[in-house]
Parts: sequence; structure tokens; C-alpha cells
Amino acid sequence: MSIQLEEVLKNQKGQINGEVGNDIHEENITQLVGFIVGDEEYAIPILNIQEIIKPIEYTRVPSTPEYVLGAFNLRGNVIPLIDLRKKFHLASRNQNNETRYIVMKEGENIAGFVIDKLTEAIRLKESQIEPAPETISREKGMISGIGKRADSILTILKVDMLLKRDF
Amino acid sequence: MDDLQEILEDFLVEAFELIEQMDQDLVELESHPEDLELLNGIFRVAHTVKGSSSFLNFDILTKLTHHMEDVLNKARKDELKITPDIMDVVLKSVDMMKALLEAIKESGTDADCGIEIEEICAKFDAISSGKVVETKEIPEVIEKEEAPEANMEDMSDEEVAKEIERLLAQKMEEKLAKKAKKTTKTNITTESAAEQLKEVKAKTSTKETVKPIAKKTPSTPEQTIRVEVNRLDHLMNLIGELVLGKNRLLKIYDDVEERYEGEKFLEELNQVVSSVSLVTTDLQIAVMKTRMLPVAKVFNKFPRLVRDLSRDLEKDIELVLTGEETELDKSIVEEISDPLVHMIRNSCDHGIETPAIRKAAGKSEKGTVNLKAYNEGNQIVIEIKDDGAGMDSEFLKMKALEKGIITEREADLLSDKEAYGLIFKPGFSTAAKVTGVSGRGVGMDVVKTNIEKLNGIIDIDSELGKGSTFKLKIPLTLAIMQALLVSTQEEYFAIPLSSVLETVRISMDEVYTIEGKNVLRLRNEILSLVRLSDLFGVKQIFDSGEHAYVIIIGLAESKMGIIVDGLVGQEEIVIKSMGDYLQGIDGIAGATIRGDGGVTLIADVAAMMHLAKDIKVDLTQQATNSVSQSKSSPSDYNVLIVDDSKTDRTIMRKSLAPLGVTLTEATNGVEALNILKANEISFDAVLVDIEMPQMDGYTLASEIRKYSKYRNLPLLAVTSRTSKSDRLRGVEVGMTEYITKPYSPEYLLSAVSKNIKLPVEA
Repeated sequence: MSIQLEEVLKNQKGQINGEVGNDIHEENITQLVGFIVGDEEYAIPILNIQEIIKPIEYTRVPSTPEYVLGAFNLRGNVIPLIDLRKKFHLASRNQNNETRYIVMKEGENIAGFVIDKLTEAIRLKESQIEPAPETISREKGMISGIGKRADSILTILKVDMLLKRDF
Repeated sequence: MDDLQEILEDFLVEAFELIEQMDQDLVELESHPEDLELLNGIFRVAHTVKGSSSFLNFDILTKLTHHMEDVLNKARKDELKITPDIMDVVLKSVDMMKALLEAIKESGTDADCGIEIEEICAKFDAISSGKVVETKEIPEVIEKEEAPEANMEDMSDEEVAKEIERLLAQKMEEKLAKKAKKTTKTNITTESAAEQLKEVKAKTSTKETVKPIAKKTPSTPEQTIRVEVNRLDHLMNLIGELVLGKNRLLKIYDDVEERYEGEKFLEELNQVVSSVSLVTTDLQIAVMKTRMLPVAKVFNKFPRLVRDLSRDLEKDIELVLTGEETELDKSIVEEISDPLVHMIRNSCDHGIETPAIRKAAGKSEKGTVNLKAYNEGNQIVIEIKDDGAGMDSEFLKMKALEKGIITEREADLLSDKEAYGLIFKPGFSTAAKVTGVSGRGVGMDVVKTNIEKLNGIIDIDSELGKGSTFKLKIPLTLAIMQALLVSTQEEYFAIPLSSVLETVRISMDEVYTIEGKNVLRLRNEILSLVRLSDLFGVKQIFDSGEHAYVIIIGLAESKMGIIVDGLVGQEEIVIKSMGDYLQGIDGIAGATIRGDGGVTLIADVAAMMHLAKDIKVDLTQQATNSVSQSKSSPSDYNVLIVDDSKTDRTIMRKSLAPLGVTLTEATNGVEALNILKANEISFDAVLVDIEMPQMDGYTLASEIRKYSKYRNLPLLAVTSRTSKSDRLRGVEVGMTEYITKPYSPEYLLSAVSKNIKLPVEA
């Protein structure tokens, strides 16, 4: 037991040191959370996420665009709910077991976003993130950059733009 | 410099309070010129302000108050009689004092603020040297014994000045000593010194005020502390959360009570729930009260206003205040101040006639404006009543036509009350020429907007030649309110109860159409009518049928009817912000969280009335036009089979096969409910087994019936339970038909085809 424990501790120590070393000696690391909407993988900075919850009932709010589903109750606070599929002009799909609401926050602004599926927490070095190509105009300034990984790329979204009311 | 700043701030607070008091006293003095007590009070204020301002080197203010003091002192010693002309000069100088104090507040000095006092000082000089004094009137006899008394007060004022001087010196010393030490404690000690100063000041000022009062009516000093409004707001928010919790608890208790009827623990639970709910309500009221201010805060500035107006307009007007002690939420008190100013100006200018006309009409020359505040249920009513000319509805209509505010046809339809309401339209004015007081047609529009903002109602009553009465009905508080919960299709909305006048149930035959708009005739009134679902773009899933509930809402001076599908009940709701993202949506004032944890939107009555103008849906047309979606072949019909036994499901499927309808299967109640909720298929009938795992048929039926759109969905119980009580229970939960097993395939077939109204093939 004690040997195992020591090993674990040693591992952990190594991890901590390694991380610290990485941060200081190499370059800045951005922590992101990845999720899927439609066929693509997107990511937002982990610090902008207040929490991720399973779908709950919401109330429709009239006179809003279609992608604003309504508002829901998050422990006593009324939070707007936005469907990212509709916001990205994708065909809508019914909610299933993998559907989640990501509650994003930027300063005082807060809103919940419906996503198809969560993927994972991602750590990207600054060199792995490229600015958004200028030709992409569909999501009008919603993209802050493109993250490159060994086997895939992901779109990093600007949370402040997502939370900006555009109607 | 810092401690001087503190003294300056204290001086400003004190001076503003004193001057406000002075204003009231002066107007009072005009009607009771012989009241030496009042005169002494006014003199003291002038003296105090003079003392402090000379100490703080505000030369202009000192000079002004000095001259004022001279005149007042003469009046006090009965060497001078206060005439309205002198009063004008005094009041003007009070206004100047205010302006100077504002300038000091802004820039810290009264020099070069552009306020010219020479002229008024000269006037004062003239008055005190007796040049303008009207000695024609016989001077009234005033007991001389008051004079020494006044001198004593004189002394006490000087004492105050000395005290301040002494304390400042003391503080300077302290500060110097601390500075030498260069410790961080400096702040704390200066603060405590400032507190000391305040204390002493408070003591001296109580000495000041108590003394004269004590002579007539002994009274105890107020036991109060000053609290920041922010803290009270925070407290109010917390109470709001508690109220939501209470609502939720009540709802859960109701559910539990239904399920565990007769259980012993229920009673205990009931006790706890009721006591929590009682305490919460009390707590809410208590906190609300801490935010309450007497209306007097606003009312007190009106005597001066009316006095100035009556001088300007050359009318004789008396303002009678009643119910100044009535209390209102601080935020509301601030909001009603402007509207009331406009209403009173309106009454003085348009209501009260000139003395000559009044005399000719056989009324007393002096006109009266009554300003009264009182509580009525959850509302406060502010009544402005004048005994003037009253309003002529025909004249108002004519004026409105002239200005193009209404059309001729509209004018014909207007009742008297509605015609009175015209005065609130922007740009409407009956004044022949624009004067300093009125004629621009703006004031009453301000009244309307501000009262609407508060969810208030304006009620007008008028009798030609006798006078007019305006009643402003305003809710007591804004944070927590009573609301009527209504449903339209599957959605719920909360309507502020203060705006709901009544609810009625009408038949669609009672809806008339005038100029393409639906109206309802209710007693003697014609009200325009819209459906809530049209206002808020709610999809029409089902038809509401022959009858409808109409909520009559009223705001400011207008009224209208809103058709809803159901009335849920009255509930206390807490207004929650929906955040920046959903702020300011048309027609929605905010959201609240209900007992079941869901979000319900609060309707903005003012915006709803506005939205209603653009709605062009003809209700009478719609009622007949509602054609169900065309179903051409039997396979367009959908039937849901809910049974846990595979065999039973197969039997049903086989029996119904000849019909050719589309069948969907579910193995238990939960699954069935999810299929229905998903809303992918619109079912025409549901076959329900009673005994199933997870959720039985009875529960399923009652759950389905909770959705308004499934209110008329045929539910056919298919079961081997045959007892009478089972059948009864089936009826209770809303089963349409009760089919007992075993059944013949033909029987099931006919029952289903009958219920889904399958057209018999020709």
C-alpha cells in the first residue's frame, strides 16, 4: 500500500512540477471546454463557464428571435436560454440524453446555451491557436480563433459576442 | 482640509433641512401672521445659517442671511408687519439661499456662482428701514413678554456657533498630533472626532428644537437611525427569495396533502408550513415598512407651490392637505412627486376660476384644492380635488378634434370619462395661450407616463361648475406584488393585480366589430378586446370554444379587455430581472419564479395596451375559420397504445388493423407521457391500460389532462378492472371511455373510430 501511495504522490508531484514548469518556461496555456453543435466541435474558455447542467424546463419569451428559446430558473435566478443550433442556422434537433445547457458568463452578462454534446476539457498552447480566417463570415465575429490539435481542429468562440444581444 | 470638508458636508445637510422647514413655516406664517412661534423659528434658521456660513467664509450667503435676519428680527419684535409683498421678498431670498447652497455643494464656494444678491439686500434694507412698510394697517397687539424668551434662543444659537468653532479647533489639534506620528490611525481618529462633532451638534440641535416645542406640546425626540438605501434594497431582495421559497413550500404541501391524505404527519407539516408562511409574510411587511416614507415628504412642498401659483395667477387658492402621514415605498414617493406637481398646477390653473368668476357663479372667492392620501387595500390613493369649474366633455372633444388627436367618429363614441381622459394625451391643451404655468400640453402626459411606470391607475370624476376629482391609485411597493396568473394555450403569464379591474366570462357572440377592431360592451362601456395569445405570439394549438374569460385591465386613464384561456389564481410574486440579454422586451415587465420552480413572465400592462393597437386579428372571423388540419386517409390518424404487456399490445394492434390508422406503442405511463411531451406526432386518441409499472393509467390520464391542448384528447381505458369504483376513478381522472377486458375486436374498433371521428368511408 505505502509503495503505491508513494508512487501516486510522486506522480502527482511530478505533474504539479511539470505543469508549473510548462507554464513558466514554455508558453501560456489556455484551458477550454469543447462541445459539439451539429457536426462541428467548438470550444470556449473554461473561465467563462459558470456551470453545465442537464436540460430543464424553460419558459418561452415572446417577441424574441427563434434562437432565443426562453428563460429558465437557475437556483432563483432567471437566465436566458439560447439554442446554438438555431443561432448557427443548423437544422434543429430534439433534445436527448447528451444535450446540455452551458451557462456562460462574461462580466454581468449571463446566459445558458443549448449544445448537442460535451466533449472534454482541452489545454491548448498559444502556438496551437490561430486567429480566425477572415473568409469565415457566417458567424459574424463570433470566432476568436481556431485551435489545432493532433487529429482535429476546433472553433474557439468569443463568449462576449455570444452573450451580446443582437435583436 | 479633510475635516473642513466634513464640516462643510454636515453644514449642507443641515442647511437644506432647515431651509425646507423654513419654506413651510413661511407659507404657514402668511396665513397666521401673528404666530410668534413660527416667526421665531424662521428667525432661528436664518440666524443659524448665517452663523455657520460666516464661519465657513461664505460671504455672499452670510450677507444675504444677515439682511434677511434683520427684517425677520424686526418682525419678531413687532416693529414690522409681514405683508404679502414683504413675504415675496423673503421667499425669494429663501430661493436664493437654496441656489447658493447648491452652488456651494457643486463647487465648494459661493463666490462667482453668478447669483446676484445686491438687489434683494437693498430691498431688505428698505424694508427694515421702514420705507416700504405699510403702516396704514393697525399693528396688531402682541404680548411683549415673548421678547426676552427670544433673546435666550439667540444666545443658544451663538453657543452653537461657538461649539462648532471649538470642536474644529480641537480636531485640528488632534489631527496635527496624529500627523506627527504618521500612523495609519489618522483616519479612524478623525472619523471619531467627526462623530463627536456630530453628536455634540445633535445635542445642541435637539436643545434648540425641543425648547420651543416644550412650551406648548411636550414631545420626545425621534428614536431613529440612518440606514443606507442599498442595505434595505438588499434586505428586500433576500425577503423576495424567501417569499419564493414560501410559495414553493405551499405548493409542495398541496401535492403532499393530496397524495398522503389522512396521514398523521400531514398535520405537523401543515403547522410548520403555515407558521413559516405567516412569519414570512410578517417579515415581508416589516421590511417593507422600513422602506416606507410618509407622503408628507412630497406634500410639504405644495403649500409653497400653490401660494406662488395663486400670486402668479391672481387667484385666491387654499390648499388643504390631509393624510400626509400615509406611507409609501421610498422609490414610489420619489416617482410621484413630479406627477403631483403637474396635477396641482393643472387644478390651480384650469380648475379654480378667478375670484370674479367664482363670485359671479355664487361660490366663495377663495378656491380650495384638496390633496388627500389614504390607503385602500394594497394600494394608496392620492386624491386631488378642486372646487373649480369642472370639465366639459363636449369642449374637450372639440379641442381634441381641432388638434387632430381623435377622429370625429371616435369623438362620438367617447363616454364622458373617456373624454376627460383626453387631457392626458400628449399635445393636448385647452389653454388659449401658453403661459408660465400651462398650455404646452406636456404636463399631463408626464403624469400619465409616470403613473403608468408605477402600474398605477388614474380615475377622473368631474361635474361642470362644481369641480373635478383626480384619483391616483398606486401600489404600495414595487418589488413584491400581487398578480393574477392567467393561461393562454400552454403558457402562463402574470398580470399585476393593481392593473386588473375585473374578470368576466363572455360568450363569443358578445364580441362586436367596430372599424376592424373587436370590442366588448361591458355595462355602459365599450372596451377594445384582444387575445393574450395574439399579443404574445402564442401558437393556437387548440380552440378555446364558445366562451372566453376576459380580463379588464386598466392603466392610468385607459382600459381594455384581454381574452385568456384560463384563470389560474392570485399569487404574490417577486419581480426578477431577466438580465441584460432579455431586458426591455416589448410587453414583458420581468419574470418571476413560481412555486413549482418554473419561470413565469410578468406582463407589462402599459406595453400590452400599446401592442394591442397593432393587432389586426378578427376574433369573430377566427372562431368560424378554425378548421382542423385536413386528414385525407385513415393513416393520417394517430393512436397511441399504452400497455405493459406485449400480448395485449399485439391484440390491440390486430383489432385496430382494419381501420388503417397509424399506431404508436408505449410500455408504461412515463414513456407515453414523454412521447406526448415530445410533440412529434399529434395523437387523436390514446388507449390506456390501468395497471402498469412506473406510472399507472390513472396517473397518466391526470397528467395528460394537465396540458390544455390535451384537454379534449380521447383517452380510452382498456382494463380488466371492472368494479364500479374503478370506473368512477376513471371518470374522475378524465378517461373518455372505459373498455373492459376481454373485449371483442369489433367493439374496440368501433369505440376507437367513434372517438377519433374517423369519416365513414363512402
